[in-house]
Amino acid sequence: MNTSDTPSPRPPALDVRHLTKDFPLGLGRLRLRAVDDLSLSVAPGQIYGLLGPNGSGKSTTLKALLGLLAPTSGECFLCGIPSEDSAARRAVGFLPEAPYFQRFLSGRELLRFHARLGGLPRAGREARLEEVLASVDLTGAADRRVGTYSKGMLQRIGLAQALVHDPEVLILDEPTAGVDPVGAAEISSLILALKARGKTVLICSHLLTQIEEICDRVAILHRGRLLAEGPPSELAGLGDRQSLVVENLPPEALAVFGDWLAARGGKLLGVEAAPARLERYFLRTVAESDPHAAAGAGVAAPNPLRR
Amino acid sequence: MNNSLPFSLGRVGAIAGNAFLEAVRQRVFLFMTLCAAALTIGSLGLSELNFGASEAKFVADFGHGALVLFGSVLTIVNAVQVLGGELEHRTVLTVLAKPVRRGEFVCGKFVGSWLVVLVFCVLVTALLVFVLWLRVPAAQPGAAGEAPQAAAQGVGFGGVALAGALQAVKFGLLTAMVLLITSFAQTNFFALATSSLVLVVCHLQYLAHDAWHAGHGWGVRLGGGLIGLVFPDFQLFGGEEYLAASAGELLAPATRAAAYGVGYTAVFLALAVWSFRRREI
Repeated sequence: MNTSDTPSPRPPALDVRHLTKDFPLGLGRLRLRAVDDLSLSVAPGQIYGLLGPNGSGKSTTLKALLGLLAPTSGECFLCGIPSEDSAARRAVGFLPEAPYFQRFLSGRELLRFHARLGGLPRAGREARLEEVLASVDLTGAADRRVGTYSKGMLQRIGLAQALVHDPEVLILDEPTAGVDPVGAAEISSLILALKARGKTVLICSHLLTQIEEICDRVAILHRGRLLAEGPPSELAGLGDRQSLVVENLPPEALAVFGDWLAARGGKLLGVEAAPARLERYFLRTVAESDPHAAAGAGVAAPNPLRR
Repeated sequence: MNNSLPFSLGRVGAIAGNAFLEAVRQRVFLFMTLCAAALTIGSLGLSELNFGASEAKFVADFGHGALVLFGSVLTIVNAVQVLGGELEHRTVLTVLAKPVRRGEFVCGKFVGSWLVVLVFCVLVTALLVFVLWLRVPAAQPGAAGEAPQAAAQGVGFGGVALAGALQAVKFGLLTAMVLLITSFAQTNFFALATSSLVLVVCHLQYLAHDAWHAGHGWGVRLGGGLIGLVFPDFQLFGGEEYLAASAGELLAPATRAAAYGVGYTAVFLALAVWSFRRREI
C-alpha cells in the first residue's frame, strides 16, 4: 500500500502542551505561577473562547502562543510550527488588549506598515488596505493620525492590522473592550464571517453573552489552571434543554401544557418572566434609525474580508 | 531560538522607515534642529566674544559645538523613544506578533534612529558651511575645494564637512549603545539616565587611558584598562583639528576613526540584538 498518497491530517491551528509560566518576583527565588500545566488544542475553523477572571493567565497564554514569552516548561504550536519560531507567525493575526499604536502615523500608514511586515506583496497591497479599512468602517478616518482616534476606533484599527495579511488564525484579546454595542455586534458578525471562510479564531473576552453566542468551544481558566473545557451549551448544562417564550398564557393552561409535554416525553422545569434583552432592544432601535448601523449590527451580511 | 524565517532586509527597511517617519514627526527632532540652527546663526552676533580667534574660527567652533551638544541629546532621546517607547506603550506586541525576527526589529530601529540623526547632522553642517560662506563673502573655492580667505582664518570648508560626517558616525555608535541599554531597561528614565552617563564616560576616555598607562596600583590600572576597552573613545571623532584643516589633510585619520566607530557600532548592535532576543515582552 502506498501511504504517500494519504493526506496527512491538518495539525491543530493552536496547540498548547503542558504550558507552565513562572514570573520572578524581585531578586529572590520567589516566583509567581501565571499558567500552570495548561493544555489546549484548537482545531482549524473553530471559534474558541478563553474565559477567566483578571489574572487567570489568559494574556500570558496568548503571549506564549505568539512566542512573546518563553515558557518555563511545556510547548506551544501555531499551525504545527513551534511558537518560538518567527515563521509560525506568518499565519497569525493578533489584536492585543487595549491596543495602542504609533500615534504619529495615520491609520493608512499604520496598516501599510503591518501589511509589509506580514509579507503582503506590493501588488494589490493598496487595494487590500482599502478593503480592510472599509470592513472596519475606518475609510473616512484613514488619513487621520492614530493619536486622534477614539478608543473604539483604536480597537477597530487594531482589528484591521490583525486582518490585513489575511491570516489563517486570529488571536483576539478583548476585541470588544471600549466598543459600543453596535461596534461589538459588528465585531461578532466579522468573527462569524471569518469562521465561514475557514479561519480559526481564539478570543478572550469578559462578555460571556458574546462568547456563548459565537464560540464553538470555550476553556475556563482560573489562577493559571484549566477548570473546564467544551462547547458552551454543554458546559452550561443546557445541551438538552429548550425554552419557549409565550405571551398571555393563563395559569390554568399551564397545567394542561405541562401534561401535554409529559405525554410527549418532555418536562416543564419552571416558569419565569422572559429575560429583558436590553442589548437586542438597543441594536434594533439603532438599526431602525440608521440603515448603515443596521448593516453592521448583523441585519445585513457583513463584509467577508476576502482578498 | 529556532528561526526558520530568513533574515529580511525588506522587513528591516519597513521598521526603519516607520521609526524614521515617527521620529521626524515628533517635536524633539524639530526642537533640537531649531536649537542647533539658532545657536549656529546666533554665533554671528556673539563673535565679539572670540577670545582672540578669528571670526570664522569662532563661528565654526560654535556651530560644531551646537551639532555635538544637540546631536547627542537627540540621539539619546530618539533611540530611547523608538525602542523604549514601543515597549512602554506595548505597540511592540503587534509588531512582534507578525513574522518578524527580533534581530530585524532591533536593526530596523537602529537604522531608523540613525537616519534621523544623520538628517540632523546634514542640516546643521550645511547651515554652518552656509553661514561661514556668508561671513567670508570674497571666498571662492580653490583647487582643493577650499575657500582661501576662510582657510586663512583657520577654517576649512572641507574640514567642517568632515567633522560633521565623523559626528554622524559617532552618533550611530551612540545609537547602538543606547539601544543596547534600552533593550534590557525596565523604564525609559533608566535608559535615558544610563545612556547620558555612558556618553560622559565615552567623552572622558582619556582619563581611563591615563589610568591604564600611568595609574598607581594594579587595581586602578586594571579598572582604567577595562573601561578603556569596553567604552569607545569619543574624542577620536575630533572637532577642532578637523575644522581648521582641509578635507584632504585629515582624510586618513578620519577614515581610521570612522572604521573604529563602525566596528564598535557592529559590536554594540550585536549585543543589543542578543539582549533583546532574551527579553520577555
